[in-house]
Amino acid sequence: MSAILRTENLTKKFGGLIAVDNFTLSLESGRLHAIIGPNGAGKTTFFNLVSGILPLTSGKVFFGGREITGLKPHEISRLGIKRTLQIKSVFPQMTVAENLWVTRQASQGFLHPFRAATRDTQTRERVDQTLEQIGMTALADRTAGTLSYGDVALLEIGMALISEPKLLLLDEPTCGMSPAETERAVAKIKELARSIDIIIIEHDMEVVFGIASDIIVMTQGAILARGTPQEISNDERVREAYLGRPEDEDYVEEAAHA
Amino acid sequence: MIRTFVERFLLVAFAAFLVSVPWVVPVIANKFWVSVIAEILIWSIFAASVNLLFGYVGLLSFGQALFFGFGMYGVGIGIDQLHLSFWSAFAFGVSAAMAMALITGIFAVRLTWHYFAIITIVFSLIFYFLAVRLKPLTGGDDGINFSLPPVFSFGATRYSLTDQTFQYFFILAIFAICFYLMYLVTRSPLGRAFLAIRENDLRASLIGLNVYVLRLIAFVMAGFLAGVSGALFAFFGRYASATYMFYHVSGDGVVWAIVGGAGTLFGPVVGTTLFIFIRELVSTHWEHHSLIVGVMAILVVMLAPKGLVGLWREGLSRIGEQKTSSELNAKARLRSQP
Amino acid sequence: MMDTILLLALNGLIWGLIIALIALGLSIIFGLLDIINVAHGDFFMVGTVLTWYVLQETGLFWPAFILVPVIGFVLGALIQRSIIQPIRNAAALSIVATFGLSLILQELVRMIFGATPRRILPPIQGTIPIFGIEYEIYRILAAALSVAALIAFFLFLQYTKIGTWMRAVRHDRETAIAMGIPAQRIFILTFGIGFALAAFGGVVAAPITTVDFRGGVDLLPFCFMAVIIGGLGNLPGTAAAAILLALLEGVIQSFADPTVARISSLVLMSAVLMLRPQGLFRGLAK
Repeated sequence: MSAILRTENLTKKFGGLIAVDNFTLSLESGRLHAIIGPNGAGKTTFFNLVSGILPLTSGKVFFGGREITGLKPHEISRLGIKRTLQIKSVFPQMTVAENLWVTRQASQGFLHPFRAATRDTQTRERVDQTLEQIGMTALADRTAGTLSYGDVALLEIGMALISEPKLLLLDEPTCGMSPAETERAVAKIKELARSIDIIIIEHDMEVVFGIASDIIVMTQGAILARGTPQEISNDERVREAYLGRPEDEDYVEEAAHA
Repeated sequence: MIRTFVERFLLVAFAAFLVSVPWVVPVIANKFWVSVIAEILIWSIFAASVNLLFGYVGLLSFGQALFFGFGMYGVGIGIDQLHLSFWSAFAFGVSAAMAMALITGIFAVRLTWHYFAIITIVFSLIFYFLAVRLKPLTGGDDGINFSLPPVFSFGATRYSLTDQTFQYFFILAIFAICFYLMYLVTRSPLGRAFLAIRENDLRASLIGLNVYVLRLIAFVMAGFLAGVSGALFAFFGRYASATYMFYHVSGDGVVWAIVGGAGTLFGPVVGTTLFIFIRELVSTHWEHHSLIVGVMAILVVMLAPKGLVGLWREGLSRIGEQKTSSELNAKARLRSQP
Repeated sequence: MMDTILLLALNGLIWGLIIALIALGLSIIFGLLDIINVAHGDFFMVGTVLTWYVLQETGLFWPAFILVPVIGFVLGALIQRSIIQPIRNAAALSIVATFGLSLILQELVRMIFGATPRRILPPIQGTIPIFGIEYEIYRILAAALSVAALIAFFLFLQYTKIGTWMRAVRHDRETAIAMGIPAQRIFILTFGIGFALAAFGGVVAAPITTVDFRGGVDLLPFCFMAVIIGGLGNLPGTAAAAILLALLEGVIQSFADPTVARISSLVLMSAVLMLRPQGLFRGLAK
């Protein structure tokens, strides 16, 4: 099995603080990988480095054998790495269909300046198809900003789907969801994982152990342990790292986003 | 539904009115108002350039007067010193504005939010002071007066802007072309990409949009609109002056666009019309019409941040679906919490 | 020639001190309320006009130093409460509102005070020799008063409870509010203080400039330059930048005309915005 994503000595420092420390990792294609770890462990920073939002301090990133170190976010996105953000974000004043539409169109190189968007029947069909896939056909013309939290998350998944990614980075996809919504989202992610490589950051252990086949545990910017769900749940160091840690906000990573 | 219908009707009525202006207005008012309406059309294009950036891409430019000035001086200097023909001078002015937008845009669109507003003021001030300083070329604050190239030909027939009615239709035609182009852009894939950037630029880059280049494209397009309005204004007044490059002119454009309704095609026309009408009506009796502009700018920001067109649409949708009003309020409350 | 340079440099320095006062107000308003106050130059202008009225009514110049900043503070507080507070949710549009405010202030002054620029005579006449040139006593007094006001402002920020609160809100609004700091009152105070500082600058500057309803228009870009070059939120940096810029313009003016001087500082400002948006002095002062 070939590596879909590989990093070599990936390091990110914020001033004196080392958020990601000499991270060497190879994630093979065909499995659903999960990254877990206490708050401030550098999980989101890792995603930000891979997707090009933050410049890295040193190290290299490879995507399917191609080096993507230092590329811009939109360039990385066009190569096929799509990601969601921890705080659900769609384009709030556009309709659900338009959100999907613009996402689909964005991966194409040329944006026609004068032809009406609605005349692009190919994209239109693809949007309709995706709406059906995520079960939001009835909500197609709703303004995205008025959707319920669960529907926004679903729309995000739809936006990931329609761009036909090779690798999907999901940052806490079930964060803030009701149990019913979580269940729906998990089912969707499982289904997606059959055709797309997925790396997921998740706090909800139940979710992680239910879907991931490979778990990476991070603490303080480094890999603490890696293995199958069984291996991880039996790992003494992992249990230690998780005990007594308060579940509050991720200050360092939040600051890095802003 | 109601909205589309009512607005279509209004649009047709508005177009019919504009076409009939040279015959109707002198009868119901007097000839003077024809040229006021011509001026409104010109400044509407200017407000549209602010609107394209702020309403569709989310960049608040306080420096559009720079490109207005370049369009204006392109025509003025082109005719007065380079002895260009009508169309060449027009093209010269617009290209100068667009070239300037490209050059300043390369730097300016690297910044966003307040910083973008500040850098656009700064750039326009730099060139304002340059224009004041280069008196032999620009005439400084006094400006340069020039006479129109006597005739310009359109195909085999020859026309002159000295003919009032022809001048009006010339301006109306350019106005219509500009707004039609803008209409096309806002409905196009490019326009939707602009909206995506306005809504959430980080997300836009994550779905693969080159945010920097798209902002630059929008900036040059806005430079085109401002340049066209400046060039038209130069033809209209046979005059070009550095005072039109000062940031107060940019500020006027921003106020017109936002009061009318940013992010809507005709919002800037509404805002510009309102303010120029007030100015023309009031200024003959009372010289402090700026007071009204200031008060209205503040009132609109306070009471109707989506502008008059936004207010109108909200009103229409209230009539359309009374039941959703509570939902709307909830939405407004949600939106007002950042 | 040396004499001219020295004279213009001294003049520049004094203007720099006055502008530092105005720019500090602009900077705290930006830092605390996240508002670009395009009307800030007009606050200065209102200060000069009020000074003229004080002189007119009382026949004395000195009371202006107390009265005008106090009136400025009240006006600022009123403006914050009635205009700025209601639009806090439309932050992107705040610049439009302050532009409107700027038009209103200018137009009101033009209506009441008139459009003709007037001059005020310095309360102290005469010159003294300094560095080999004869220099106006009032300008030296103006410098001293500006420095005193600057020091007072920094002491206020550093050592009073309200000053500490203001710094806290600027640093992290959410946390400050969570800790029970009355943010709303701080916002009103900030705007009032900003206006008062600009108005005080207006009093100091009134005898060395003209009293004119457009008096703030030229000054505003300069204040923005000081805020940007000094670094947004870096108050000592802002003050230093104001003084340096004015000194620089003064010196440039001695061999080129004022417009060239102004263009050079604007170009410098754009370079700083592009290359070091955090300002030139980051790291030197907190």
